[in-house]
Amino acid sequence: MPLIIKDEYPEKLFREDGKRLDGRDKHELRPIKMEVGILENADGSAYLEWGNNKIYAAVYGPREVHPHHLAKPDRGILRVFYRMATFSVFDRKRPAPGRREKEISMVLTDCLEPVLFLELYPGTSFEVYINVMDADGGTRCACTTVASLALADAGVPMRSLVTAVAMGKIDGELITDLSGIEDKAGEADLPCAMTWFNEEMSLLQFDGKMDLEEFSKCLTLAKDALTKIHAIQLDTLKKKYIEIQEEHKGGENE
Amino acid sequence: MMNIKRVISTIEKNYILSNLKKSERIDGRDLWEYRDWTVKSDVIASAEGSAEVTLGETKVITGLKYEVGTPFPDLPNEGVCTFMAELLPLASPLFERGPPNEQSIELARVVDRGIRHADCVQTKKLCIKEKEAVYILFLDIYVINYSGNLIDASGVSALATLISSRIPEGKWADGNLEWTGKYLTGKTIVNELPLVVTYGKIGDIIFLDPSLPEELVCDGKISISVTEDKITSIQKSGYATFSIEEIEMLSKKTMEISSKVKKELNLWQYKHDK
Amino acid sequence: MEHEQDESTEDSTTENNETEDIDEFEEGETSREVVVPGEVLTEDTKNFLPGRGTIFNKDRTKIISLNIGLKQIQRNYINVIPLRGFYTPRPGDKIIALVTDKNPVKYRCDINSKEEGILKPKNTVKRGKPRGFRDGPPDRHDNSTEKYKIGDILIVKVLSADRLNSPELTTVGKYLGKKRDGLVISIDPPKIPRVIGRSGSMIKMLKNLTKCNIFVTQNGRIWLKGEDITHERLLIDAIKKIEKEAHTVGLTDRMSEYIENEKKKRGIN
Repeated sequence: MPLIIKDEYPEKLFREDGKRLDGRDKHELRPIKMEVGILENADGSAYLEWGNNKIYAAVYGPREVHPHHLAKPDRGILRVFYRMATFSVFDRKRPAPGRREKEISMVLTDCLEPVLFLELYPGTSFEVYINVMDADGGTRCACTTVASLALADAGVPMRSLVTAVAMGKIDGELITDLSGIEDKAGEADLPCAMTWFNEEMSLLQFDGKMDLEEFSKCLTLAKDALTKIHAIQLDTLKKKYIEIQEEHKGGENE
Repeated sequence: MMNIKRVISTIEKNYILSNLKKSERIDGRDLWEYRDWTVKSDVIASAEGSAEVTLGETKVITGLKYEVGTPFPDLPNEGVCTFMAELLPLASPLFERGPPNEQSIELARVVDRGIRHADCVQTKKLCIKEKEAVYILFLDIYVINYSGNLIDASGVSALATLISSRIPEGKWADGNLEWTGKYLTGKTIVNELPLVVTYGKIGDIIFLDPSLPEELVCDGKISISVTEDKITSIQKSGYATFSIEEIEMLSKKTMEISSKVKKELNLWQYKHDK
Repeated sequence: MEHEQDESTEDSTTENNETEDIDEFEEGETSREVVVPGEVLTEDTKNFLPGRGTIFNKDRTKIISLNIGLKQIQRNYINVIPLRGFYTPRPGDKIIALVTDKNPVKYRCDINSKEEGILKPKNTVKRGKPRGFRDGPPDRHDNSTEKYKIGDILIVKVLSADRLNSPELTTVGKYLGKKRDGLVISIDPPKIPRVIGRSGSMIKMLKNLTKCNIFVTQNGRIWLKGEDITHERLLIDAIKKIEKEAHTVGLTDRMSEYIENEKKKRGIN
């Protein structure tokens, strides 16, 4: 039986005043809040709120590989497990992992691997568990962003962090950071992630219609957004330690 | 304590027990004291009800989603409330990924029974059209960090979720389901507030709210759910045995503790008015 | 019957300094600047070389940090002292092992690293001198695994650790062996040098002020035993504070002040 309130999409995705439905400008990011080291039992962890997205990520590793036959003798392996809570979406999601979750787990693994030195850890695995407790568009990008923080928090050597954002096109206009409604009702959706050591894309997907000029412009806009989000990641990692240093600054002169 | 693995060291168990004999717990609490509680409601925008609860370092997030479905044939005018729990691997290296195992099933069932037998959820008010359409409420509990005593934390998170829910109110019009424009809230859905209280036992010593090291070395646990004046469910686990005197003492203590905790947490503050 | 006596003797503060004389946090010119993965540490690749925790970029025009840590310059090397990390066994390390399994030919131990440590019976008994009449009955444990049980805490030394095999351990040696009481706590392995301090200064101070015996080991595990639980709690709180503030200056003095204040507050001495 259907739900009582239907999940309907509005006709126009821009308001009368030219702003997006949630009040943002075309290239404005939603509010983003990040924290690391919030789960003591894991080797590394991070939490992210991005708009209404609420995501926990945790890393275990290096550890023995289970099941053993997946272990590689000459390098370590990275395994990412992306799961969504049943209540994270409008239409309750069934608890068991579905095809979309498996696909995204694979995409995220490929996206994070380039920054790691897996050849230094033969026969072991790094496991990244990502749990989306609340989802609202650009989820796989938010997951990439928080997972790379969790890896850094675990003390895994990395060439750089990885940052992601979902670009898109709604009502003919290119926009930055798609929300849930914009993702579902818009004309195109381009989630992408950048690894900073070589400034190249490690995650790139596209669904919709764009001409070549729009596409090129979109990639340029993406780089701007990614740079801003990367700055938040870096600040989050350092802040934890700098705050403690500030607290005890007096010690230096005593 | 030492990083948690499956085997607990003998010296750790001895340390905990020898101190318990002197009524000392490693974190300095007394035998009948809870760790600190925090409760936050309305934490998940996509859910019709939600709560994040921490008890010490243990953290659980519970969310409520509804569906409309046909009732059970023997309860044609009652809605259904069903519980699920997942022990997320990120909460502890002891939790493996995969389908719900015994531990998570037991957790969901203990919370379910405590709430069901207290007639906490007004299932008759969850009926839209007798025999045709009732609400099915899914309460899903996710353990985000494991630091002992998941049962009590989950119990409170389930209550806070139910109390703070806002479920679109449906009506039956000519064989179609329509929205009245209003919402069912905790005031309508929740009647009683049963609280589940868990104790651990090591050797002869019983204590409230096992912390992680205590839970990993304990010989057994017992969880008792109570309302103002009635016991509504009990679950004993582990190989420890409890004497009849101990059980009676704990039942009485649970009433006192439950009363105190409910007052401290004041869960009704989380309800919405409309 | 075994003697009911702790194999591993209590007083081992000086012991910790044999292999770890250096408190990296206070070595060289540790700038206290917190850096993160991917951060450019210098573009002066003529005068500096990448040291610990750092790497050249592709065209060797920059030196980049690989970890969250403190930037440190030692002669012409740029290092990053990590603030987070995992333990990798090295031969000679003294660590705390938990026996998790055993079969007739070996013990398997959790050593807080990616692999289990293996303890063979021959590495649990002293060998060497021929036994005379007065030396008592021979130790029968050198070819069986009866000496230790699952759940035992052992202070061990790493004999070997390479990429192909599981690390091998031994309980033969000064200060090594089974612990019969006390407790073990864990901290982040990179912070261990801070708990020891330069020339053992921090650990000596902790021991004297809290009147506890402490054995700090390389895999992040610390064994301790005090007069009573209140002293032990104070020591644990102090160690957690060191872990949290490892990257700050003036820590040793601040810690002794903290402990003195806490002793007053908690009514102990």
